[in-house]
Amino acid sequence: MKVGFRKSHVRIGVVAVALAAVGVLVATNAATARNGASCGTVTLNEQAWAGSTANTYVTKYVLEHSLGCKVKITQIAEIPVYEALAHAKVDAVLEDWQHVDQYKQYATKQKSVVIEGSNGVNGHIFWGIPDYLMKQYPQFKTWKGLKGKESIFKSPESGSQGMFLGGDPSYVQKDKELIQALGLNFKFVSVGAEAAQTARWTQLVKQKKPVIFYWYTPQYLNAQYHIVEVQLPKIFKGCKEDAKAGGAVAQYRCAYSTYPLEKVFGAKFAKSGSPAVAFLKKFSWTNDQQNTVATWIAGLHMKPDAAGEKWVKANQAQVNKWLGK
Amino acid sequence: MSTVDEVVGAVPAPVVLEHRPWWRSRAVLSALVVVGMLAGYYAAKGKYGWPAVLEWSSLKTHLDSFQIWLSDQSNETSPNLFFRIVNGISGGLDTLVRWLYDALTKLTWVGTTVVATLFAWRFGGLRAAAFMAGGLASFAAFGLWDESMQTLSLVLAAVALSLAVGLPLGIAAGRSERFDRALTPVLDAMQIIPAFAYLMPVVILFSVGPGAAVITTMIYSVPPAVRIASLGIRGVPSNTVEAAKALGSTGSQLLWKVQLPLARRMLLLAVNQTILFALSMVVIAGLIGGSGLGDPVTNGLNTNPAVAILAGAAIVIMAIMLDRVTEAIAERTDPTRRHLDEAGRRRARMTTIGVLVASAVAIGVGFAANAGDIYTRYTIADWLIARIQSVLDFIADPTTFSFQHITNPLGNFLTQHILLPLDTFLVATPWFVTVAGFVAIAFILSGLRPALVTAAMLGLIGLVGEWQSAMDTASQVLVATAISVALGVLLGVWAAESEKVSRILRPINDILQTLPQLVYVIPFVYLFPISYVPGMIASVLYAFPVVVRLVERGVRDVAPQAVEAAGAFGATRRQVLLKVKIPLARDAIMLGVNQGIIMVLAVVVIAGLASTPGLGYEVVQGLQRNEFGLGVVASIAILALGIALDRVTRGNQGNRRTREDVS
Repeated sequence: MKVGFRKSHVRIGVVAVALAAVGVLVATNAATARNGASCGTVTLNEQAWAGSTANTYVTKYVLEHSLGCKVKITQIAEIPVYEALAHAKVDAVLEDWQHVDQYKQYATKQKSVVIEGSNGVNGHIFWGIPDYLMKQYPQFKTWKGLKGKESIFKSPESGSQGMFLGGDPSYVQKDKELIQALGLNFKFVSVGAEAAQTARWTQLVKQKKPVIFYWYTPQYLNAQYHIVEVQLPKIFKGCKEDAKAGGAVAQYRCAYSTYPLEKVFGAKFAKSGSPAVAFLKKFSWTNDQQNTVATWIAGLHMKPDAAGEKWVKANQAQVNKWLGK
Repeated sequence: MSTVDEVVGAVPAPVVLEHRPWWRSRAVLSALVVVGMLAGYYAAKGKYGWPAVLEWSSLKTHLDSFQIWLSDQSNETSPNLFFRIVNGISGGLDTLVRWLYDALTKLTWVGTTVVATLFAWRFGGLRAAAFMAGGLASFAAFGLWDESMQTLSLVLAAVALSLAVGLPLGIAAGRSERFDRALTPVLDAMQIIPAFAYLMPVVILFSVGPGAAVITTMIYSVPPAVRIASLGIRGVPSNTVEAAKALGSTGSQLLWKVQLPLARRMLLLAVNQTILFALSMVVIAGLIGGSGLGDPVTNGLNTNPAVAILAGAAIVIMAIMLDRVTEAIAERTDPTRRHLDEAGRRRARMTTIGVLVASAVAIGVGFAANAGDIYTRYTIADWLIARIQSVLDFIADPTTFSFQHITNPLGNFLTQHILLPLDTFLVATPWFVTVAGFVAIAFILSGLRPALVTAAMLGLIGLVGEWQSAMDTASQVLVATAISVALGVLLGVWAAESEKVSRILRPINDILQTLPQLVYVIPFVYLFPISYVPGMIASVLYAFPVVVRLVERGVRDVAPQAVEAAGAFGATRRQVLLKVKIPLARDAIMLGVNQGIIMVLAVVVIAGLASTPGLGYEVVQGLQRNEFGLGVVASIAILALGIALDRVTRGNQGNRRTREDVS
């Protein structure tokens, strides 16, 4: 045992020497690390949906190739990223779906983030059905046509009612309230994260079965699967958007509104005067443009960097406008 | 990955077979209680939900305002001392991880691979070196070298710190019964409360980045270090300790010269388990800026699932690699097994020097050949992704035979005839009948104290306003546990009887326990496109390996005398198994049931992401919709549900805590 102990001292010594050698190597290497260009490093946060990936990689290509920035991409979840922006760990989020509570808390009260206006894309949440179903039942154009026909959406877990496929728990929604307020005989079935919801409804669409679900645009899958909107009651003044707000169900008896998606910068980055700030402020494109790139990435599995490059090269005029050329 | 085996082996279980008339057996009495509950269900279906009077409805609001207050404090232009200290900690951790990452990348991939492989060879032998080299080579081949190194540095930092915190605590708990009792509930909470619930406070305090990721990982990876270390100290034979005391050892002599050396194997097992637990947090860590392999998993789910699966595979490979290497090093360096003579020691020294020289040469070559910081050449990533994609396409195709005639009908059957009826039963039965029923069963199976704890926990669930969601979750947990136990007992007994089966099952168990569930749960949504089922399958896949390990160990450990005696009386192998081994292994099997429940609960949140309603869904919502209060309350309910089900199924064979807490 004693021998073993002495032995292990030798071993520790050896390991220590090795570690020290590594340390020296690292130190010398770090000293010769390249210096950033005038733009420095810009940290963009990519959210977990294809549209966000499209924004991030198109801007990344421009930042790197036209402005000489070094771009770092983080993938922090939607709400925690506000703390990251506030602490200057992330510089910009290029697509935020109206997190009004956060705007109040971080932009208005703390002034730790800045809302920089729309990225040109308009977000809209709706009740979607596949177009073959719309052709079969033209009355589904509005919600009134659903009345009495709910049972065609029956599923194993909805009993005698029709199944309404709810959205990702992280998205703004009020479908339980809407169903109740409209007096529809649907059972709200939560299906979890967007990937799970997509798996569920695409499976039904491929079999040409009836399905009605919470969905949104811009979304590259809409074109691929021909998803159309069921009209909900008109928006009235004071109509609520998000069930989180609570209150009587009657207050939710309207469609979801269409709103611009915001760019959000960390306060420090916004004030930094970096050429990246001016460019990202001007960055704006349309739903169709974003969908195109999203389809390349998520639908055709093109590498995001390659997709960004391809789009920028094909749309140099628009990119020049963003650059103020 | 061998905790459970070791642990069950450590404490010999007294076996007392009871003799009661069949109509007074526990099973019959429990069945009677269930019949009573059914009567209550039919008598007052859905009439008595948890009464609002007994709810603390403002709790969520209080919690929400707490979070807002915390964020405001932390983002002040000049935060107070507390936040400055906390910021310092996270800054320090960020630097530590970055330093490790820099070291791994600056060595160049050639250097890192050669150094790590030689290190594994020197201290773990040829097999360990093969695992190390194979693992590192596959990260490169997968085109995930950089992500893997980020994850590796994060895991190394988290493990080092978890051990620095966990081992001393575990040793203290091993030496003091009272401290152990005080610590246990805290460790339970750390392991059962889903990370999603505390991610936001962690981010507010420690910001995002590797530092916050290390903290989050540690919350999950400290408990196994504490538990196994404590168990190791306890496992030192008491007569040895007594003898040392009789010879006049002081407390510290006893610790350093007797308890620690004798607990060596368990302490090394603690290291090994801590690594695996840390790796299971990689995906969560990615959500708050941990980078690494978690990012392609999360992001791939929506944009390119094949990439998510590839990254998941890399996580599994890293787990198996680190597991086998640490295990081999523990074996090889065991002083009780090594008896080196002078020549042997000289040889070992020469090898060490050789290893160092070779490492230096490798690093030099790496630099000279300008191998670059990051491996990007000659990957087979595209080929692999295409292969995975073709499998996914098959899975997502609703016209295949297997979908139309096997998985889809099976999923529908499970939902319509098992899950939904049970769910309706638990949700619609009057709350007081449900509480009374659970408490009565706990009393019958486990005794008075567990029954009281069960009552308190169910009361807590109602109090925080989560009764209905908890009943939704309970129904899924019960079905998933039943399936896991059935499968686990079957395979466990088989593995105990056949060495070959055991060898096949081990890597499968390893994979199932470390592959992030998010990776495989979505393909299951395609196969069983119905809520409840995919989440339940994920739970079963995570829980049954533990049951297998426990049962296998239990059946193997049946006293050989009993088996021989039965053989001498001319019992066939079948008779020995059914009449001797299984009854005598009853303890381990019950423990399997119990552990199955805990493991199933650990997957509740993932099940919520994959289409299962209930508490898991609410926890996710809590994080992602900024409803902190809701997430915390739902997590409390998960914890309470876990404790309640644990007590109901514990059985009353004395004090089993020490054994069951480990995995």
